[in-house]
Amino acid sequence: MAYVALSEAEKTFILHGVEEDFRCDGRSRRDYRPMELETGVVSNASGSARLRLANTDILVGVKTEIDVPSPLAPEYGKLEFFVDCSANATPDFEGRGGSDLAQELILSLQNAYESPQAFDYRSLCLIPGQQCWKLYIDILVLECGGNLHDAVSLAAKAALFNTKLPRVTATLLDAGITDLIISDNPYDCTRIGIETAPLLVTVCKIGDYCLVDPTAEEEGCSTVSIVVSVSMRNGEPYLSGTHMTGGGSMHRDTMQNCLQLGLSIGEQLNTLLTKMLKQEQDRVGPKRPKTVGFLK
Amino acid sequence: MQTLREFTRKTKRGNILKIVREHYLRDDIGCGSELCRNCFQNEVYQLTSQHEIQCSLFKFPHYIVVDTNVVLDQIDVLEEDVLRNVIVLTTVLNEVKHKSSSIYKRFNELVHDRTRHFYVFVNEHHKDTYADREPDETANDRNDRAIRIATKWYDDHIRASQSSKDLERTGKTATRVILLTDDAGNRAKAEADGILVASAAEYVKSLEDFPLLMDKLSHKSFDSEKQALPQYPPHLSMKELLEGLRQKKLLQGAFQASRENYLEGSVNVESFEKGILIQGREALNRAVDGDLVAVELLPESEWSAPSEIVLEENNVYADDVPSEERAEQEKDMLQQVQAASAASAEERSPTGRIVGIVRRKWRQYCGILQPSLIEDTSRHIFVPADRKIPRIRIETRQAAKLQNQRIIVTIDTWPRNSRYPHGHFVRSLGPLGDMATENEVILLEHDVPHCKFSEEVLSFLPKMPWTIKAEDYAKRVDLRDLYICSVDPPGCTDIDDALHCRQLPNGNLEVGVHIADVSHFIRPGNALDKEAAARGTTVYLVGKRIDMVPELLSSNLCSLVGGVERFAFSCVWEVDHDANVISKRFHKSVIKSKRAMTYEEAQVLIDDPADQGEIAKSLRNLNKLAKILKKRRMDNGALVLASPEIRFQVDSETHEPLEVEAKQMRETNSMVEEFMLLANITVAEHIAAEFTECAVLRRHPRPPPTNFDPLVKAARYQGYQVDIESGLELAHSLDKCVKEDNPYFNTMIRILTTRCMMQAVYFISGSLQKEEYFHYGLAAPIYTHFTSPIRRYSDIMVHRLLAASIGADSTYAQLLERKSNEELCHNLNYRHKMAQYAGRASVALNTHLFFRGKEEDEEGYVLFVRKNALQVLIPKYGLEGTLYLKSDKDGKDGLERTKAQIIFTFNEEDHTQRCGNFVFHSFDPVTVRLSLDSSNVQHEKLVFRLVKPYIKGFSVEPKAGADDKESQAPPPTKKSKKDKKKK
Repeated sequence: MAYVALSEAEKTFILHGVEEDFRCDGRSRRDYRPMELETGVVSNASGSARLRLANTDILVGVKTEIDVPSPLAPEYGKLEFFVDCSANATPDFEGRGGSDLAQELILSLQNAYESPQAFDYRSLCLIPGQQCWKLYIDILVLECGGNLHDAVSLAAKAALFNTKLPRVTATLLDAGITDLIISDNPYDCTRIGIETAPLLVTVCKIGDYCLVDPTAEEEGCSTVSIVVSVSMRNGEPYLSGTHMTGGGSMHRDTMQNCLQLGLSIGEQLNTLLTKMLKQEQDRVGPKRPKTVGFLK
Repeated sequence: MQTLREFTRKTKRGNILKIVREHYLRDDIGCGSELCRNCFQNEVYQLTSQHEIQCSLFKFPHYIVVDTNVVLDQIDVLEEDVLRNVIVLTTVLNEVKHKSSSIYKRFNELVHDRTRHFYVFVNEHHKDTYADREPDETANDRNDRAIRIATKWYDDHIRASQSSKDLERTGKTATRVILLTDDAGNRAKAEADGILVASAAEYVKSLEDFPLLMDKLSHKSFDSEKQALPQYPPHLSMKELLEGLRQKKLLQGAFQASRENYLEGSVNVESFEKGILIQGREALNRAVDGDLVAVELLPESEWSAPSEIVLEENNVYADDVPSEERAEQEKDMLQQVQAASAASAEERSPTGRIVGIVRRKWRQYCGILQPSLIEDTSRHIFVPADRKIPRIRIETRQAAKLQNQRIIVTIDTWPRNSRYPHGHFVRSLGPLGDMATENEVILLEHDVPHCKFSEEVLSFLPKMPWTIKAEDYAKRVDLRDLYICSVDPPGCTDIDDALHCRQLPNGNLEVGVHIADVSHFIRPGNALDKEAAARGTTVYLVGKRIDMVPELLSSNLCSLVGGVERFAFSCVWEVDHDANVISKRFHKSVIKSKRAMTYEEAQVLIDDPADQGEIAKSLRNLNKLAKILKKRRMDNGALVLASPEIRFQVDSETHEPLEVEAKQMRETNSMVEEFMLLANITVAEHIAAEFTECAVLRRHPRPPPTNFDPLVKAARYQGYQVDIESGLELAHSLDKCVKEDNPYFNTMIRILTTRCMMQAVYFISGSLQKEEYFHYGLAAPIYTHFTSPIRRYSDIMVHRLLAASIGADSTYAQLLERKSNEELCHNLNYRHKMAQYAGRASVALNTHLFFRGKEEDEEGYVLFVRKNALQVLIPKYGLEGTLYLKSDKDGKDGLERTKAQIIFTFNEEDHTQRCGNFVFHSFDPVTVRLSLDSSNVQHEKLVFRLVKPYIKGFSVEPKAGADDKESQAPPPTKKSKKDKKKK
């Protein structure tokens, strides 16, 4: 994690702000910073999204490949996450500097997406036991402004929403072997259902209080935070994984509160994200978007 | 500006990838029109205002945009020098390229012809004409839209650049842009967009100055047949075909029509040894020879055997509706065919029916128009020269002019409801029976490249006068002092081999074979080399030679003519007097042949004891050695094969054959042959050792034992045993097949043996196991072609390999690349085969010319006994023909014969035909009367009629007084049929 140098006085100031429910940037403890989200920014990828949460900048590309389902789960497709912390974000990431953080992010995402109830792996299967889609979700951290987990999960979900899989029909050969035929129309695509796809909400404990969407400075003040992954099922938020960071420990009641907070925030976040994605999709239409936000 | 093109593609491993390519749009692409002042024109104007075409449809100057379907279907119209100022969009060009590479090639030639003013407009990269694919739009629709956008843009652009003032001043009407398309959907949309549009047919019809252009229009449908009943089962759709093929329900293979029976053919499928038999019109289902088809195998109970019946299609007329009578006839034939096959169960072969065409291999066909019964009709039937090709319906208004001409026609479609494919006239080759025309036909039919060498090719020839330079002498071994001479057939100008033999001080002999050094003149990779590689071989027709390399090389610089210094590639052996090779060496050399001789001259020299000159002495030594070599080869099991070969004495002016003679074999022929074989084998061993992966070799596979069945059977009926276990045993048993009373018997047996053989082929050493290098006919473990580089490209390749291995020449990447060499070998094998066929066709043609207006009785032998005919061989002319015994096609004649009790009964057991007391066996001598049946102008054929043994009512009377016989010669079978038709 990129560390921000903070003096004791600054820390105390932040701590007091949290206690007052009036953080340095004027937010309450349950508020997120403004986000910028754009999908379809990488034309070479099957799906992509770029999310900017204050200073945190995440780019996600989804690549697709045909693979053989694992024999243990013949009806499931595959997801693979990869996080790269770009040295652009902070000089600390240079060389292998970012790999620990990247590994942590990958693990928490994998953890969140692991349950078949959190993600519909069946929709990625083409022929049970023979062929399925494997999605490579490549996440690039371009800038680090705190709250990476939340930003990464939001961007990943948006990218999955944006992903277009070419429509494939299977024909049966002799001896039960099948062959795939792809549609020659590039617009003839299937989409991936993301209703249940989890979001990560980092609940950060500063002093006696818990807050969401910590800035890099606030993260510096926190001794412990819990990353709550929230998956929506039938309009109800479910917990699909947790993950603790920081050196400190948590009382059982505090943890209970944190999870409750995470779930309710996650639900709000999910509703908002889905709404915005739908809006953008309607605006762009089926054709390729005119590039506006990214590297303009 | 930039945009992206996206598409998904499936890789070989089955992965699906999304591929995105950047696509740049430019604003500096010129419109190519002379009228335009705004565009940046980077080339000379291609679209002029000079060429105005009179068109009743568009009565103003116009440029033409052609749609892809117009190019694909009406390429023959475009090739005519009529349409000019044509705008070719890259969309169209790409589509054409994708759909048909042959048409693309032709179209490209047109585009490059500056005089035609075809302008390629890169609409795909022009910022105003680029069309991005819309959702729910097929690729085809997008291309159509791109064409419309470009046309619209062009029209607006050209109109904007012609100011109305200028037009008023010059009194001209404004130039517009029109679109030609045969696609109704595209047309309707174009009309809605306000584009001037017409179909190709409408446009061509509206051209007032070129009424004959209409003949070249491709016809997709003939009106009269639209309502006609379907005569064929429908083909499966491409999707169904692919699915069927994938599931192995259908089999894919190349369709091969039978030459003898138009209702029969076979499909060669990989998994079947013999190919799948297809019988009957409906099973054939509109397949044309060469097409890639999908076949459905019939259940085993319906399998049948290839009929041994020779069946030719009756004359038909263009306006004939398929009559019931004919359908009946056909049914009869089919029943016969099936009945015949039902009996012999073990001979049944897999039978199937064609359910769809994977890819058409239609090309242009030579042939003639069949005279029509109705005058002034424009519909005609075209009869191709190749019997495997069905007749083709065409529409032409110049039938009268084309009546006695050889013409070229192509097939456009074959709808279900038409008995024959529909096509259109392409061009005329010239009058029928004319030597030049007929040769052209032969060359075209055998796909022999025979156009003149292009300027580019000629530019790689050495500059004349050519002299040998000092550095050439330095690099080469100087053999000018040796007594080298060449021995060739008379009239040969491309002499590629010469020989010498001299006594060495140690008592041994030195023998040298000197081969023209063609690879010195043809450098790898240049246009000359590519052309030679494409041609592959020189083609010899009677009285005409189609060179592989330009004449300057073939008849002058490379040819080892007498008394002139020439470059050679020498292969020199030291041998003892028992022809054992003691040492060998290869080197490039400069030689000066002392004399170029014919076989006859050389023979005279050898036989003349008075001549003790150096040449005579060396020839005698060579001859002596050759005999030893030959004997050794024979003992090894090399086969002596025979094929009837004849030579024509051709009139030097009319090019018509004057005299026919069978080719003679002299001792000297065999002498030259032996040393060429020795050289080839020596070189083959050398290059195979040097280049284990990429040496060009020639092999002659051992035929499968079943190939010998006809031979073994035929010999057995005569009481001889032919042993086919090995080449050696075969050679020995052939030697034993001698009949006292039939001196030609042995030759005939050998002719039959030749027909059992496989084709010898070139191959690359790395592609096969060592054991498979074997040359069966020569009984040599390894063989190649080295000795005729002037007329065979394979020899040039071998020369290069050899030169590289001895350091006389540099190697180059391509030389050592197995894959490209393999492809070259494939082409050479194909060209070689075609050249042979062309040569044979030319001999047949000249035989016909020779017999024109003649009638001769000749001694012949029965080669085969067929179910309804005897196959007769005339040794004098090396000619083979069919003597029909039963007239299946001709009910009436048959009936009369039955009355006269002349019935031939075929005996399956011993393959004989019996009529009364006469029994015909294979190899029996007969006398037949040869005459030319010209009733079918296209397939003039020699008619064989029996003279001896005399069977009353069937044989013709022996010639008593030749004169009166000619006048009252009984009509050939063919004619009697015609009579019937008229009644």
